[in-house]
This record gives sequence, structure tokens and C-alpha cells, in this order.
Amino acid sequence: MTSTACFMIVSRNDIPIYEAEVGTAPKKEEAAHQHQFILHAALDVVQDLAWTTSAMFLKSVDRFNDLVVSVYVTAVSHTRLMLLHDSRNDDGIKSFFQEVHELYIKILLNPLYLPGSRVTSSHFDTKVRGLARRYL
Amino acid sequence: MTHLLAQFQSIKISCDRLVIAVKDVSDLWPVVSEKVEERAPFKRAILNNKTRHQVTVDNLPAEFLLTTDSRIKSRVPQDQLFFCFQEPYATVVLVTCEDLDEFKTILKPRLKLILQNEEEWFVVFVSKAKSDHGSKMERKVYGRLEVDFNSRRRERCCKFDLHESEATFWDDFELKIMECIRNTLDRRIQFYEDEIRKLNEQRLTPVWSFCNFFILKESLAFMLEMAQLHEDSLREYDELELCYMETVKNADKEREFGGLDHGDDESAILNRNNKQLTQIVLDTSFRQFEFQQYLFACQAKLLFNLHRPFDVASRGFSFIVSFSEALALHESNLPFCMREVWVLTSCLRLINATAEHFRDGQVAPDIEREYYRIRGELYCLSRVKFMRLAYLIGYGSNIERSPVNSALLSMLPWPKPAVLPSLPSDASSEVLAKEKAILEVTPRSKHFGIQRKPLPLGPLSLLFDAYNINVENSADTSKLAEVYVAAEHALRATISDPGLWKSLSSLEELETKNLELSKGAADSYYHAWWKRHGVVFDGEIASVYFKHKNYEQAANSYEKVCALYSGEGWQDLLADVLPNLAECQKILNDKPGYLTSCVRLLSLDKKLFSTKERQAFQSELVHLAHSEMADPVPLDVSSLITYSGHSGPPVELCDGDPGSLTVTLWSEFPDDITLESLSLTLTATSNADERVKAIKTNGVTILNTGRNTIALSLPPQKPGSYVLGVLTGQIGHLRFRSHGFSRGGPADSDDFSLDKPTRPILKVFKPRSLVDLSAAVSSALLMNKPQWVGIVIKPLNYSLKGAHLHIDTGPGLRIEESRAIEIEKLVDNDNNNSSKPSNVPTECSQINLTNGSIKLPDWASSITTILWIPVCAISDGLPKGTSAGVISTQRPSIANGLRTLSLKLEFGVSHNQILKRTIPVHFTDPFHVSTRVTDQGSDGSLFLQVILQSQVKASLTIHDVWLDLQDGFSHAGRGDGRPTSGMFPLVVPPASKSGILFGISLGTITNEDEEIVVHGDTIINIKYEICGDRNLGSHTPISLKPEGPEDGDVTPVLTFKSGLVLQRPVQEPLLAVAFLPLPSNGLTVGQLVTFRWRLERLTNFDSKNELLYEVNANPKNWMIAGRKRGHAPLSSKQGARIEISIMCVPLAAGHVRPPKLNLPSVNWANVCCNPAGPHLVCVLPPPLSSSFCIPA
Repeated sequence: MTSTACFMIVSRNDIPIYEAEVGTAPKKEEAAHQHQFILHAALDVVQDLAWTTSAMFLKSVDRFNDLVVSVYVTAVSHTRLMLLHDSRNDDGIKSFFQEVHELYIKILLNPLYLPGSRVTSSHFDTKVRGLARRYL
Repeated sequence: MTHLLAQFQSIKISCDRLVIAVKDVSDLWPVVSEKVEERAPFKRAILNNKTRHQVTVDNLPAEFLLTTDSRIKSRVPQDQLFFCFQEPYATVVLVTCEDLDEFKTILKPRLKLILQNEEEWFVVFVSKAKSDHGSKMERKVYGRLEVDFNSRRRERCCKFDLHESEATFWDDFELKIMECIRNTLDRRIQFYEDEIRKLNEQRLTPVWSFCNFFILKESLAFMLEMAQLHEDSLREYDELELCYMETVKNADKEREFGGLDHGDDESAILNRNNKQLTQIVLDTSFRQFEFQQYLFACQAKLLFNLHRPFDVASRGFSFIVSFSEALALHESNLPFCMREVWVLTSCLRLINATAEHFRDGQVAPDIEREYYRIRGELYCLSRVKFMRLAYLIGYGSNIERSPVNSALLSMLPWPKPAVLPSLPSDASSEVLAKEKAILEVTPRSKHFGIQRKPLPLGPLSLLFDAYNINVENSADTSKLAEVYVAAEHALRATISDPGLWKSLSSLEELETKNLELSKGAADSYYHAWWKRHGVVFDGEIASVYFKHKNYEQAANSYEKVCALYSGEGWQDLLADVLPNLAECQKILNDKPGYLTSCVRLLSLDKKLFSTKERQAFQSELVHLAHSEMADPVPLDVSSLITYSGHSGPPVELCDGDPGSLTVTLWSEFPDDITLESLSLTLTATSNADERVKAIKTNGVTILNTGRNTIALSLPPQKPGSYVLGVLTGQIGHLRFRSHGFSRGGPADSDDFSLDKPTRPILKVFKPRSLVDLSAAVSSALLMNKPQWVGIVIKPLNYSLKGAHLHIDTGPGLRIEESRAIEIEKLVDNDNNNSSKPSNVPTECSQINLTNGSIKLPDWASSITTILWIPVCAISDGLPKGTSAGVISTQRPSIANGLRTLSLKLEFGVSHNQILKRTIPVHFTDPFHVSTRVTDQGSDGSLFLQVILQSQVKASLTIHDVWLDLQDGFSHAGRGDGRPTSGMFPLVVPPASKSGILFGISLGTITNEDEEIVVHGDTIINIKYEICGDRNLGSHTPISLKPEGPEDGDVTPVLTFKSGLVLQRPVQEPLLAVAFLPLPSNGLTVGQLVTFRWRLERLTNFDSKNELLYEVNANPKNWMIAGRKRGHAPLSSKQGARIEISIMCVPLAAGHVRPPKLNLPSVNWANVCCNPAGPHLVCVLPPPLSSSFCIPA
């Protein structure tokens, strides 16, 4: 499993609607802040890249030293699943994204969920962390 | 071949354009040189590139050199074909001759000798002759020259006439030169290519030397560059680089890396002449540090020549990144922080050089964007390196601990020198100064007393680990100072650029440079549309401005940052910057801005700030709100105060009703907050434009943190559904508003159609009748007697709680205020339970009338009740009886008994609903009396039948009846005025008739009696009882006395009086009046008609010979012609007759009363009418006037 990984879902309005530190490395207070900063800046790159390819999975769109940003852009709602990671397991990351995407679609199907608002489901959180352990 | 490098270097420096050799055979150069040299550079040349494609080259530089010139003579021997690029590309032979013999004998052999080894040459024959003869001779010589030197394939001669037109010559001249250059170039390219191919074939053999390859390749590249074939030249350099990377760099592990010379810290990536080739190559080893920079510099130059600064930047950036990695590998051998300095200077060089060449709009927009992006990256990279250097020499505490700095500095690898710099022995004073400086620096505390663990700038395992220093420990400050001073000394040794060192020498310089780099980065990223990157540097710019106390610009920049972060909802990042913005605003006294910032801080996710900090935000806000503000702006607190209606169905109100609306408010303030006022608008769903007036709370509201329930009183609203609109209010002097979006939800997500259907909170129904008031009975009540009139009050699904009923009587009606008004539940008689009488026990209460109104009891608020009001209708006139069998027009009209009760019911929550109703109530006398003379005796006695018709729906019992006769009549029989037979009590059922017979006789009238007439009319007195149900109509009159025990059962005996008209029969007819018949064709409007009466004197009752008459007619119906009044001559004899006729014109059609003849001098009782005149005559409408009906 990857030691450092920060997973984030960014709605089409660029608002982060879910975030989780899923790495095995001990949590540092400042790390989350820096990771947010890196992922936010990576949106600039994604915005340019997303329209050049029809693929949903954009691997290594941005690098920060040995941290890499991989992004999965959903087709319809243009929601971005972003992962800052230090592992090189592209297949695992892709599977992770695909499964999280499915989970996210289930969230969207919930009539009580307002699309574009924060995902607060603890079930979702547990599942995402489980997937991270499995794939990353 | 290494020895050739020095030579190669010198050749490259001296030779920068194509050389054209000039063989001046006849000493003509001084004459023509000026004009020939003017031709260079050649404006347009067509050359073949390496792939044998024609390429047009503009402004091809060239140089004309005499073959005697040292620069040509000194060139290396022919065997060194490597450097053939420097050889002349064409040879121009200048000759002149006027003598054909001389040409044949001297010039021609000489030329042949000269040109025997040349391949690309041509002869220019210069004609100098001024005379015709001379020119003729020259022409002959030139002709000969052409014959001798031109071949079939190629013309090699041209003639230059000094005194004639030159234009054609120069074209010819250039054409020939180009041909030569092209041929030479092709040949030489071919040569180099062959050589290179040969070398390439040997590449895997041990004899292969990169140096040879390099010389050949670069010579070719250099030649192509001279020929302005930059593309081809660039390709050569690219291949050269590739070959270097593939072969040398990896093969030669032990080679010297380079970069140890003084000044190597300064990047040479754009300066290819920075070092001699001999310096770059040592013992056949190409030093990577120098050589890669050299190659890049060559490429960059070509790219600039090709006007491709973008490529320079993009290649440069990746070169810097990859080269930086190479430097990292050799870091231990390089001077302290060499890599950082080199990257820093490289980036700056690249930025400056590309900026010089780059012009906006010259390239495609996406290239332009990409260029700016790379420029941003370069700025960013150089900034990181600069900050890092600053950090190393002790400016760390002055560096803003922002996420960008922290991420860039702490997460990227730091220099790891093999040997840490040691402190020079003489630096103790510097250490002291540094230590002092370290101790002086107080970390900048955040506004609002926000406590944050500062973000790290350097990895903890840096220098300090090596020196075993704990940064946190203040005891190690002196050690820290030593480290800084040592690093400073080492760095000073590394950095050769005085400008850069100056930037690091003081804090002011450092900040200036930082500002410059940050600005450059921000601008570039903005140009590249990378706003998120750009805005990060705006934050850095702002922090520098803030330190420089340039608060205005700092606020502007912070504003930009906050706008982006809050727009995209990245709260963690926003939480970092927003306090800074707030601080600027506070310093600038920008109260509205500061307030907004406080609100934004409060509305950020709660976990981002501690409760204490949030309380600080709130106290600032409240403090400001209560202070005087010049120009207070409404504050949007949508994120802090949210509201919603109560759950469940909407409040339902009837039209015009006020109500109360319960609203739930959530306060996100950390403490209770006092709102000076609070109001809420309601918006009608049917009509969005119509915004109803805001509803307000009274007085001060204190909102607790979390959920608050507030009741708002609601004035009457128009019918419709309403949703909650905007919440507004005041905190101190400050107006605020909240549009009520819930927290966390997207504010502007139009694409998901997220508009939750807003739930109506209030429904106001259309106006409907809420209550009905009606009279309880339809039949008439007794006139002049206290009666109960029933009013049915029927609420229609609406509570009448607290309702007031105002009762007002119309004329002729009086409320008996001595009796209380009764109210009882109305028993539904519509059901079939008719077996049960209506006297089932019901709720009943008594109410006293106060000021004309009563208050309905609460038990009656929602059921149908009946209200019994004691009233008495007053009628002054004596009812008149009528003659039976006569259709009397004088029968009392029904309107005479009509009285009205005006009711005004005020009900609803605040008596806002008003129902006004005027209820007619009929009153009547108990009997209608009519009389008939049943028979008449010859003695003047009469049987008078009095017919009593009951007019009420009640049982009447007559106990006694007697007559008070008018004058002229007397009672027969007993004389007590009683009926002839006593059968009392006589029960008269409702609506039935009964007759009573009286015997009376005619009396005489004396003239004396007339003066004391008491009884003008006969009066019938009836004593009766009435027994009826007030629910049905007339009933026993209300006892107005205080109720005694005996009053319960006793029905009071009432007296009813009615006037009767008794006419004495005509006893002594004096005159007979006969109405003569009218014409049989009827009466028509507008046609004259004559009414005629015949008068006959029956007795000679007076002695007058004339009779006064008058004709009365309604002037509306009749126009009378002639005298209406006058004396008709009538003899006083019995039997005298006269006819009175009068002409009339009927004016109105219909049945009208005819004119009537009156005789004022005769008592009408003594007049006998036979035949009597008609009551009504029929008048026909006028005939149609044909003049209006003829069609045109």
C-alpha cells in the first residue's frame, strides 16, 4: 500500500466534496494542508488535459517531487476524482478510481443527496478507505 | 583529433558567413569592390537543404575576400577537409582587356592556370572604356572570352560595364554566384554526410571517437547555420546531443563532470561562447556540465533565429529539470548549493531571453498559453531555489509559511552536500549578529489570535540533523547562527553573480527579489489561464506587500486569492488566507470589507477554527456592528443564519386573517447573538414579482447557537401560497440579510437543476363566506308586541371565538333591552327525527346587550346557533279593516309590517373579519278584519259580519270582541257592542278565518252632534290569546316584567284594535250623476276624447240655479281642454238635467284613472252615481306614424 495518498472528489464547480487521507504514513497536520494545495493547483492541469482525451483516467497529470497526481474525470457530470499518491501502481489506481466512481454513482442515486454537495456518508467513507487498502 | 578542437574553435569564431573569393587579375578590385560588396548579404537565395529540397533563404550573409587576403591564404591545408566549411564557396575572376592579342597571349593562359583547380568560378569582364573605339575592342575581347570559357552547359562569363546600366549585370552576377554557392554547398554537405556515415558505421568499434564525430557534426551544423539553413543545423545539433546522451554520457562513468570552475554556477545555457571547446573537452572526455550547456546554447540560438522562443522555453525547462537531476548526482563534488544557484540563474536567463524574443499574438493561442505556462514554471522554480538559498543563510523566519512555500520547500529535495560548510575562524562577530537577528525575529502572529502550528519550510532532516540541532530549542540558537553563517560563507564562495548575491545580502533585497519572482510567476500563470497557480503567487505578493506595510495592495492581492478559494469552496486553503485579508482590511479601516471577512470566517467549516477563534470573529463583528459606520453596507449572512419554516403542512389562513408564523432559525455563530430587529419577507408563489411586505418581530431577538424557533406575527395577506423570502435584520447599526441557502450546498449549480421545490409555508385562501346570518323564521311576528326574533348564526368551517355581534334596529323596531338575549344551539330539524320535538335539551345562555353589541359565548364558536333577540315593532296607526268582497287597494301593504335588523358580526382572531347583514323581519297584526253587511232590515238595522282572518302562524284564541261604533250607528240588541251570539272563547287556527256577527242599527246624525264627534271610525276590540312557537313565527309576547313564578304558564290576554269603515247607506239622494259611455273605438294617446257626465236633480234641495263642479285628473295622464272648475247652470226644479262635458287628451297609454267629477257643494253621501264611472280606462298607444316608416 502506498504510504502517502490523498484522495479527493471535486465537483464540477471545483468544490471539494469529499476528501480522505488514505496513506499508511502517519498523519501529519501540515500534510493535509499541503496535499490540498497540490491537488487544487493540479486542477489547472486537469482543466487543460481533460478536453484533449476521451479517456476518463488521466494518469500522472501533475508531479510534485515524488508525489504524483492521478485523476479520473467522470463523463457526464465532470466530477473529478483526484488522487495524490507516491505509488506507481497505475492499474491499481485505475481500479480504485473505477470502484469509487461506482460508489459515487450510488451516492448520486440517493434522492436525499443534493448533487454537488458534500458527501458525508460514513458508509461511503468506509468503503473508500477499504478500496484504498485493497488497490493502492 | 582533439588537437583540432582549438583550431575548430578559432575557425568558428573567425568565420561567421560564406566566403566568396575574388581573383583580381587586372587590379580592378579597388574600382568595383564597393559595388560588389554592396550586394551582400544577398537578398534572396535559393539553396538546397540537406534533403536536397530547394529552400529560399532571405538575406544570406556573404563576404567577398581577395584571394590574396590573409584570411584565405592562412587557411589550413586542403587535406583538412573537416573544416572545408570555411573555404570560399565561389571564385569571382575580375579581368579587363582592350587588346585581343594581349588577351590571347597573356590573359587567357593566365586565367587557365588560375582556374585549373577551381570548380565553382566565373569571370567578370569589367569594361572601362569610355571611347567608342575602346568599347569596340573590349567587346571583341569579351566575345573571345565567352568563346574560350563558357561551356555548353554553363555560362561562366559576364560583362560589367562601368559606364552603362548595371541592373541586368547584377542580376546575372548574383545568379552566377548563387549557382556556385549552391553547388559548393551541395558538394560539402555530401562530403560531411559521407564522413559522418562512415563514423556512424564504426560507432561500436573501439576506435570510434566521439570527438571526431562531434567535429564533423558540428562543422556541418555550423556550415548549415552559415547558409541560414537553421532548421537543418538544429537537426544536426539534436542528433549530436542524442548521440552524446546515448554513447558518451553513459559509457564514460568515470569522466569528469565539470562545473568546478569559477563562474560555473552561472548558467551558460544561452551562451555558447562561455567556454572554449578546449575547456569543454579534456583528454577526449567531454565534460557533461559544460558540453550539455554548450549544446543547448547552440540549439537555443538556432531556435531564436527561427523565431521559436517558445521552443527555447519549453526545451529549456525540461533541460533545466533533467540537468538539475544530473547536478544532484554530482552534488557531492560540486560547490555548496551549486545546483540551486545554477537552476536559479538558468531559469532567469531563459525567462529574460525568451521574453525578449516572444511577441504576443505571433503564435497560435495555445502555443502562447503554453509558453506562459512554462514561463510561470520557470519563475516558480527559480523562486523556490531563491527561497531555499535565503532559508539556508538564515532568512527562514522571514519566509511566509504559506502552503505554497511549505509544499515547494519542504516537499522537494534539499541539497545534500557531502561536507557541510564549516564556520570560518574569523566569523564570530557575524555569528553574534546573526544570533541577535534570530532572537529579534518574532514570529508574526495571526490576526484574531489564531494559533496554528506553522507549516514547515525545510525538511527536518536537513542541515540541522547533521549538526544535531533541535530547531525548536532556543538553547541551540547560537549553534543555529553558526550554521547560517557557515552556509552564508560557503554560498558566497559559490555565487559568482554579484547581482544575485546582492539579492541575498539583506532582507530588503531579498523581499524585492521575491516580489519580482512572485509577480512574474503570477502574471505568467494568469496569461496561461492557470488561475489556481497564479493566485497562489498573488498570496505571496500580498504577504510581501503586507510586510512592506503596503496594505492596500496586499488587500487587493489577498482579495483575489480569497475570491478563488471561496468560489471553488476550498475551505482549508481559504482559512489560511482569509485572516490575513481581514487584518489588512482592519488596518485600512475598510469596515465593510472587514465585516464581510469576519462573516466569511465564521461561515467556514467549524473544524477549521477553534471555538475561541470563532468567538473572536464574532466579537469583532458585533463590535463593528455597534460602532458608527460612515457608509454601512448590508451584510450577507446567508451562511451564518439560515432559516426554514416549520415542517408539516403550511399554515392555512382565511383571507384577511392575521396569523402567526413559526420560523426556525439556525445560527452558526459560536456565541449567542443579539439581533436588534428581524424581519422576513414572504414571496407569493403565483406571482414572483409581488413581494409582500416584510413581517417583523418586535423588539430584540437573541439567537442562540444552533436552532431557534421564532414566532412572527403575520398581518393579513392576499390570497395565495407563500414561500419564505429573504431574512433581513439588524445587528447594532448593521443591516444584514440572508437569502437562506443551506450551508454546504452548492450556491450556483445551475446544471443539476437543483432548485428544490420550495415548500409553501403559508396558504391564504381566497375570500369565501365564513359565516352565515339569517333570520330563523319566515312568518310574521306580532306587531306592537315584544317578540323574539331568531337569528341563525352558522359558522362555515371557521371559528367564531370571541366574535362580537352588533345589532342595530331599523326604524319602527326596538330592542327590548330589559330582557337578555338568548342564544341556543340550533337543532337540526332537517333530519327525519321529527318525532323528537325541538325542545331537546340544548346549550343555552343569556347575554346582555351592551352598547348595541354582544359577545358570542365560546361554546357557540363553531356550531350553528340561534340567537333570540327580544324586539318590538312599533306601528302607530290603527289597522283598518276592509269591506269583504271588495278588492281593496287600501289593504295595508306588506311593507308596512317590514322591519329590519342590521347585524354586524366582527370575528376572526383580531376581529378583522366583518360580516354585515341586514335582515328583514315581518311583523303583522294578528287579524285582518273585514266586514260585510249580511242583511239589512227595513228599519235600518243591519247584520254586520266581521270576518277575522288570522295572519300569524300561531293559534289564536279570542276571548271577547266588542265594537265601538262610529257616529251614526248604534248597537242593536243589548247595546254593549258584543256580538249577537257569544261563543267565546273562539279558537282561530293559523291562516283561517272566522266570522262574528254584530247587530247594529243606523242612527241619526244631528248637526249638533257633528261638533262633538268622538268616534270618526268604528273600532273593533278583540281580546285574544296567542299561542305559538317562536321558531315558527308569532308567539306569546315576551313578558317584560321580571319573571314571576306565576308567569310561566299564564298566557296573557291581549287586545287588538282595528278600525272599521262603516258607511251609512245613501239615504237622501239629492243628485244623480251618470257617466256617459265613452266612444266604442277606445281611447288613443293624443286623440281628443270627451268625457260627459249627466247630472239630474232629484230633489229641489236648494234654490240655486247653478252647481259648482270641478274635474280632477292626473296631469301626467290627461291634458284637459276647457274649464276644469266652474258653475254649471242647473235649475232648482226637481228633475232638472244638465250634461257636463270636458275634452281631454290622453297623454299616456295603459290603464289609467279617468278624470273624476267632483261636486264640492254637495255632500258626496247625497249623490247617487248611476251608472258609476269606471275606475280605470284603457288608453291605446298612438298609431304609428307612417312618415317614419316609408323605406327610402
